Order: sequence, then C-alpha cells, then structure tokens
Amino acid sequence: MAQTSSFKQLSDYSWEIPRSYKEGMIVPAKIYATRKLLDGMDAGVIEQVTNVACLPGIVRQAYAMADAHWGYGFPIGGVAAFDVENGVISPGGIGFDINCGMRLIRTNLTFPEVKPKVKELVDLIFKLVPAGVGVKGFLKVSEPQFDEIMKYGVKWCAENGQAWEDDPSHVEEGGYIKGADPSKVSRQARSRGIDQLGTLGSGNHYLEIQVVDPARHFDPDLARHFGIVQDDQVLVMVHCGSRGFGHQIGSDYLRVFDGAMKKYGIQVRDRELACAPFASKEGKDYYGAMVCAANMAFTNRQIIVQRVREAFSKVFHRDAEAMDMHLIYDVCHNVAKVERHTYDGTTADVLVHRKGATRSFGPGHRDIPAPYRSVGQPVIIGGSMETGSYLLLGTQKAMEETFGSTAHGSGRTMSRTAAKREVRGAELQRKMMDRGIYVKAATMDGLAEEAGMAYKDISEVVETMDRAGISKKVVALRPVGNIKG
Amino acid sequence: MTFRYLPDVALADIAFEAEAASLGELFEACARAITDIMVDPTTLRPTVGRDIALASDDSDRLLYDFLTELIIAKDVDSLLFRDYGVQVSSDGRSLRATARGEPIDRERHSLRNDVKAVTMHMFGIRHEGSAWKATVVLDI
Repeated sequence: MAQTSSFKQLSDYSWEIPRSYKEGMIVPAKIYATRKLLDGMDAGVIEQVTNVACLPGIVRQAYAMADAHWGYGFPIGGVAAFDVENGVISPGGIGFDINCGMRLIRTNLTFPEVKPKVKELVDLIFKLVPAGVGVKGFLKVSEPQFDEIMKYGVKWCAENGQAWEDDPSHVEEGGYIKGADPSKVSRQARSRGIDQLGTLGSGNHYLEIQVVDPARHFDPDLARHFGIVQDDQVLVMVHCGSRGFGHQIGSDYLRVFDGAMKKYGIQVRDRELACAPFASKEGKDYYGAMVCAANMAFTNRQIIVQRVREAFSKVFHRDAEAMDMHLIYDVCHNVAKVERHTYDGTTADVLVHRKGATRSFGPGHRDIPAPYRSVGQPVIIGGSMETGSYLLLGTQKAMEETFGSTAHGSGRTMSRTAAKREVRGAELQRKMMDRGIYVKAATMDGLAEEAGMAYKDISEVVETMDRAGISKKVVALRPVGNIKG
Repeated sequence: MTFRYLPDVALADIAFEAEAASLGELFEACARAITDIMVDPTTLRPTVGRDIALASDDSDRLLYDFLTELIIAKDVDSLLFRDYGVQVSSDGRSLRATARGEPIDRERHSLRNDVKAVTMHMFGIRHEGSAWKATVVLDI
C-alpha cells in the first residue's frame, strides 16, 4: 500500500505528489484515482512515478492513470512528456512489447444470430491466428518486404491486399508512425519478427468476440459515429503487439542504454529507467528502431483482423463487407511519439511516452479520422477475459491535462503463480462456458493465469477516467468468445 | 544447482533465483529455469544439439546475452532445450555452451508461458560464501 499523507488531493479523482516528496524531482507527479483505487495501488507505483519525475527534460508532470501498477522503470499506466531538445527517451517508458495495443472491428450481426456459431467461429479463428509459445504466422514476407512493413505498417498492407481501403485511416497515426529506420534493427530482431506477422502471442494477449452490453450502452448517439447502432451488436477486439520483434529491439537497446548512461553522465534511481538524450545518437537509433516495431505491431493486428474477416465470411457464408466488418479504430498503449501539445502557455513538440496508457485526443484534433473528428478519438480499454471491455472517447480535458492520454486496461493484482493456485485452467474454462463465454486457450496454465480475479475492477478504472474528464464512456462490451494466447 | 520462483516480485511476469557452486552451473540453472517457464521439461527430448559461444563485458551481461540466445532460439528456430552444459571463462566474460532439446511439437510438448525478454530489474550475479547466485525477472 502506498503512503499518501503528503499528497495533495486535487479532486475526487486526482492527486498531486509535490516535488518535495523526493529529492531530484523536476516536476510534480499526478495520479488519477479514487481514494479507493489510490489506497489499493502498490507502493511501487508511487516510487516509480516519482522516479520518472526526476528524468532529465521531463515537462509539466509525470502521470499515473487509474489502472497504474508496478512496471519495469516506469509504472504501467504511466505517461511522461519530454522536451525534444533537452529531454531523454527511455525504453522503460515504452515497455518490451512495443506498440502493444487494441483494435476493435464491428459487424452488423447481433448476438442472437452469432450465438449458435460462437464455438465454430472461435475454433476457426484459433486455427487462422496462431497463439502461444514460439508460434509462426501464415503470412510469409521477404526481407525487403519486411523493411517496407517496418516503414509503412498498415499502408503497406493496403498496397499489398492485406487491408481494406479505409483501414489505414482508422489506425492511430494513419497506420504507420513516421521516422522508422530499419538499419537500426538488429539481425536477431529481424529473425524473431519476420515469421510472426499475424500471430497473437501469449501472456495477457487475446482476441475476443464481444457484444454491446444493453445495460451499459452509455451514449447510443455517440456510439452511432462508430457504426454501433444497437444493443447486442457483435464486435471483435484484438489485444497484442510487436511480438518477438519488439521484444528483441527492447532487449537490444536496454543494453545499449545501460552503457550510454555513463557516456552522458545520467544517473537514474532504477536500472530499468535507463535512458539517453533523445537528440543523441543512441536516442535517435532507438527511436528509429522502436518505430519499426510499432509499425510491425500495427501490421500484426491488421493481418489478424484479415483472418477474422475470413473466418466470419466462411462461417456465415457472406462477404465480410456485407457484414460491415470495418475497423472502428486501433490504438497503441506502449509507445513514445513526437506530438505537438500546448502546456504551460506554450505550444511545442514533445516526446510523449505512454506505457500502458492510451492516446485520448479530444474533438477537433487533426489526427483523428474525419468521420470521428467532431466527437473525439476512440479509446479502447481492454478488461480481463471475464469482465469485458470498453469503448471510450478522447476529450479536450485530456489535451489540457495529460498530453492527450488516458488509462489502458485493468492491471493485475495477483501474481501468475497465485492465480494458478486459486483456479485450474480447465475449471475456469467450464465456469466461463456456464456464463456464456466460450474460451479456447493455447495452454490451460496460461488460461488460469489470466483469470478475472487476478485483475483490478475495470469498471472502477473506467469510471474514474470518465469522471475525471480524461476520457468519456461510450459503451461496454461483454465477451462471448475468447482466444487466449 | 537449483532454482526457485519468486512469485511476489513481478505480478504480471515471472522471477526466479538460481544458485550453484560454479558460474557455469549457475548459467545452467538459469537456463533450466527458462525452459521450465516455457514448457514442462519432462515432455522434451534431447534430439537436437546447439553450440553457443558468447563473449561480453562482464558476467552479468554474459548471462543476459546467454538467456536472450535461448529466447531467440525459441522464436527463430522453434527450438526448446532441456539439457545444458556451460563452461564460463575464469574472468566471467566468455562462455562455451551446448544445449540439447527439440523443435516445438504442440501435440507432444506441454507448453507454458512465452517469454518475451530478460529484464534488468533486480538482474545480477552475486557470490555469497561458496555459492553463486543470480536473480532474473522475465517479461511474459
């Protein structure tokens, strides 16, 4: 539990940790949480968010969102923006799974139509989207093609028959982040990544068939902007990232940065906070490689969605277009990007690190796809397998307070070992079936480790971010079919 | 030569501590721990061998690189290893190892967690009395 007596309560949903809390803090830290969430946060979050507040070139505040929990270096649920000239870049502020993110597609089907086919659908998708230890994908690309994927992500997919015309514009950054430099990617990372396109991976990654929860269809008018037009409408959510490719880039540069710290005379409180000036050779090299992984992750989720469209088409004997299987949106929640923000009376480019945090741009922002621009950017928040997920919207207040950022999910409260002690995979699978959720998992151990009881209550996280005004609830989605990596 | 899990260190991931009488055996214990995290080792057969030679700045980085090699072999060549023999040089900066295992067989192998990366959190080798110990936290 965190010691919070010196925190300043800003509202019912936010707290400030002053610079006096720890020697070396350049800016204050801010936590979005109810009293209950704050009291339940592990002490590591406070330690880590205040460590982040000490990093060179950080501007305004270091943030922990309502889902924050201990991570490596930065807390998961952490956001920090750095001056592009004098600030640093830190792999610990991004995570090993670069551009782990969420993708949501809609259908025009309703649950009564899909219910008799859920098992068939899940079983087929499980075959088409490989999941688990060391799996390889079905899409084979050459080395030069892989270079193009690193540079152009979903734009490459659109030009090579792996995306619909409007897919790229419905992905954060238009489907690829600019600034990729494949020459900064190691041979090992290339080898780990080239065969993994279209694979789900393992850990907390999943693919879910979900339905609009009639009891929590908060704003039907807003939902209509995303083609969500009725209760019980069926959607598909994908949670995964850049697979071994991003993990290897993370590992490679963690080593590079461990050495660069001495070179630049930077001292940090935690080895996992290793960083280098963004403007340095090491900083630029990592950014160029990290963007390659981010674009590979966009591509990975795109290839998965193509297979999902294929599966629905096969099971329902209809074209995916006829089932309106358009992409609602795709958001990163482990990334650093140069973005233009207004803060402390100035407008400037800053390097925003979001680790287990989602971009939440408000209405009118030019980076939001035209059909959604008047209402705000879709924010996709993934819950545990059992509790469901949410679609929210970005807000103007997020632009003003958090560099356009919000939470990303629910966060674990129980170790993998403890979860396995509590429940066996087969038993959990049966219980979920009783509750109307058909699950297919790569391993039964993996399933038990991801049991809902091992996670925070996502509803409280979402409610906090909504009431704080950092994102706005649109609709809750409950799972009916789940594929677990 | 043993390893034990540290379940309270990283909620979302897996940590372990290994202990051995020599540096080489310590590296072997860490490798066996990684295997145990990815697969039930009793379901693996030692049908394929791989030689690994590495050099690094110090023994900590050597261990980091060695364990990363095993993760790379899982993703690139779909290989999981069961038996290890590791010889570390007296200065702790280079090693020669053999690893024996087999390609992943989803029908026969009882697979567990996919390891993403070795983290630097609490990472390191220490010499306590006559024992070598290492703490390793893996991102899952």
